[in-house]
Amino acid sequence: MTRVTIPIGPQHPLLKEPLSFMLTAEGERVVDSVLRLGYVHRGIERLAEERSWVQNVHLLERVCGICSHIHTTTYCQGVEALLELEVPPRAQMIRTLMCELERIHSHLLWLGVLAENVGFTTIFMYSWRDREMVLDIMEDLSGGRIAHAVNIIGGVRIDPDAEQLDSIRRGLDKLQQQVDTLLDVVQHERSLRVRTQHVGRTTKELVRRHCVVGPVARAVGIDEDIRRDAPYAAYDRLSFKVITESGGDVWATALVRVRETSESLSLCHQILDQLDPGDVATRAGRRVPAGEVVSRAEAPRGEVIYYIRSAGTDKPARLKIRTPTLPALSLLGEQLRDIKLADVPVVLSGVDLCIACADR
Amino acid sequence: MDTQAILDALNDACPDHTFDAQAIPIDETVIEVPVICLKRVVACLGSGFSISHLSTITGQDTGTELELLYHFWSKGGLTLRVVLPYDDARIDSLTAVIPGADFYERELAEMLGVRLEGHPRSGLTEAEGFEHFLLPEDWRPGRPPLRKKQPPKENES
Amino acid sequence: MLSDILYVLIRLLVLPGFTFLLACALLFQWIDRRTIARLQARVGPPWYQPLADLVKLLTKESILPAEADLPICTALPLVSLAAVLTAAVYVPVGGHTTYSFEGDLIVVLFLLSLPALFYFLAGWVSVGVYSVVGGSRSLLQYFSYEVPFLMALSAPAILTGSWSISRIVGQQATATWTVFVQPLGFLLALVGLIGKLKRVPFDIPKAKSEVVGGPLTEFSGRKLALWHLTVDIQTVVGVFLLVNMFLGGSDLGPLSSLPLAGLMDALGFGLKALVMLLTLSVTSVLYARLRIDQLADLGWRVLAPLGMLQLAVTMLIGAV
Repeated sequence: MTRVTIPIGPQHPLLKEPLSFMLTAEGERVVDSVLRLGYVHRGIERLAEERSWVQNVHLLERVCGICSHIHTTTYCQGVEALLELEVPPRAQMIRTLMCELERIHSHLLWLGVLAENVGFTTIFMYSWRDREMVLDIMEDLSGGRIAHAVNIIGGVRIDPDAEQLDSIRRGLDKLQQQVDTLLDVVQHERSLRVRTQHVGRTTKELVRRHCVVGPVARAVGIDEDIRRDAPYAAYDRLSFKVITESGGDVWATALVRVRETSESLSLCHQILDQLDPGDVATRAGRRVPAGEVVSRAEAPRGEVIYYIRSAGTDKPARLKIRTPTLPALSLLGEQLRDIKLADVPVVLSGVDLCIACADR
Repeated sequence: MDTQAILDALNDACPDHTFDAQAIPIDETVIEVPVICLKRVVACLGSGFSISHLSTITGQDTGTELELLYHFWSKGGLTLRVVLPYDDARIDSLTAVIPGADFYERELAEMLGVRLEGHPRSGLTEAEGFEHFLLPEDWRPGRPPLRKKQPPKENES
Repeated sequence: MLSDILYVLIRLLVLPGFTFLLACALLFQWIDRRTIARLQARVGPPWYQPLADLVKLLTKESILPAEADLPICTALPLVSLAAVLTAAVYVPVGGHTTYSFEGDLIVVLFLLSLPALFYFLAGWVSVGVYSVVGGSRSLLQYFSYEVPFLMALSAPAILTGSWSISRIVGQQATATWTVFVQPLGFLLALVGLIGKLKRVPFDIPKAKSEVVGGPLTEFSGRKLALWHLTVDIQTVVGVFLLVNMFLGGSDLGPLSSLPLAGLMDALGFGLKALVMLLTLSVTSVLYARLRIDQLADLGWRVLAPLGMLQLAVTMLIGAV
């Protein structure tokens, strides 16, 4: 059979961000793929060495357009460790609240993208409508829907009052109903299952070999979550389940993500209940003592890791960011072999690509 | 994670070097590893200890030498520090043991100009040792952007 | 003599010819889009949107790849449009037919299947990667839905003993609507029509996330507008055909004997067409897109045997 090269990207309706997969296909069967990144490479790691510690908070907020808050959280907690700062408990709680709201936002967005890629516009519309509720909550809290600028070194910038907390609670309750509906749809809708079950199947072994983290790893039964394994922010004071599935196909990752959304909602409620009054920030110095730090956090897509080295000046000497999308892309190379062309969008959605994250 | 057990095992695996652990925030154990031992150390970690994944490889230019940090995760952070000479930066690729190291290593090669020996895609183009992955196609060879000392700019004609 | 010609021209160009069809096509498109939007918690476009889209697309520059065969690419949308418009001439609307003869059902079915072929050709001659993949998909899809569709539509003809649509409609007015006799056939015809119109869940050849625009990826401007118009008019003709074949045309049962027969005919026919259209809209909200192999499975393992069963039963009843 003749081989055709089908380009997916850098511009393609399937991708919301630029990245290029050159698929080699025989008829409807994909044989091989070649990946090319770098279309949204902004040189953030190098740029960070030119900016002061404080400016970097705002720079790093822009690594990703979906999980912007987790990047500043990881960075700030790293710098705070170097400064040996004690962050007030209320600030930790608010940080965690934003993290969880962001996870809800990211997972709902993902479900919409998956639905759209399998041609199920209705679910796409519904889950993005529900996502608006989280965005509204975040806007109410911080003034920003996507870039919240909540974190500062030493704490957070916002201090919600009782009235705000009440309105958040109401919003969360409404959202809980919607998420329950969506879970029901993902579990039972037949045409969605036909398209996602047994598609993009991975194994524990494969996931381990490619160092994949987050929901994709949890969908093959790898019970790992930085929030529980190495609690940061306020996670040691909260209780939650780490959701795992065993299927390893795209449907399993969908289940993991929707259930995690539910779990995040419960976490938000816990945080709102435990939010004690107090300071939201401590003062931080302009210079950071020399030293190195490795900071990890659980982004919606899995483990984010920052390596920060200070030479004792007002700028970092090296800042390294690894986002969970990069190993997922490595796994994709394996997944995009010997599958049907029509399954490519499903497999691509399954790993939840954030290309701006991967490029930096 | 039992640091002492890891150190003992590593000392057994590479008897010609004494390993030492250092702790850095936040709860990260750092072990310095000589270049020649890296593959053996990783193999030893992979077999004896439940290393979950390689989080990433940080490459940095300290001004006098290149430093590679292999960040692993196994219910706790473990980082291997490998120091490379500035002029002859070459290291064994880990892709045979950990296929997921592929992209991290390609980033190292492009950004810091580290030569990776035994990498499956190494040598596809002569200039950088790799086809372009993150950098633009017309990036001039021999100028890894994260190196502090850049060759003097030629006159562009 | 002159008035005869004028009469024919009016029938062809105004009612129930081109102008009427165009109006119906735009109206149907609007109802469809609006219904889907409402079901998906969106607002949907205003009533003039389909017309605005059409006019805008008609005025846009038409670009094709250098390697594409320009004359064929220009001819294909025109010929497809001509085919569905010609098919419309033979389909009775509210009890009125422009032309009718014994065997017009076969002509209509043939003319309605032509655009699928031209659609495939459009993908082939416009050379883009996505076009070619989309084109081969559309051909595969054609084989999956066309056979059950033909079998489902042959059953009423066999039951009536005539291949004229008008006769089949007339027969239903005296006996009962075909849908009550052949519910299975009606269902198959509906599924076949969804496949023909490439609507969700059978929008495989133009699956955006897989093959971008499918066979029409490289088309733009006037040519694309004509393709869109073809599909819209195909929707109208398909809906009308099904209303005639299965829902008794303009027959409203006992209500047909009410005064103002003409008005009642139009009302009955319009109402049934609307119900059919809404059924199409609602179906397209309910499903994810199938994969081409899943569709082929469905077509040959489920739909085709069911179609044959329907035919066999009809023939047995006819023989008794």
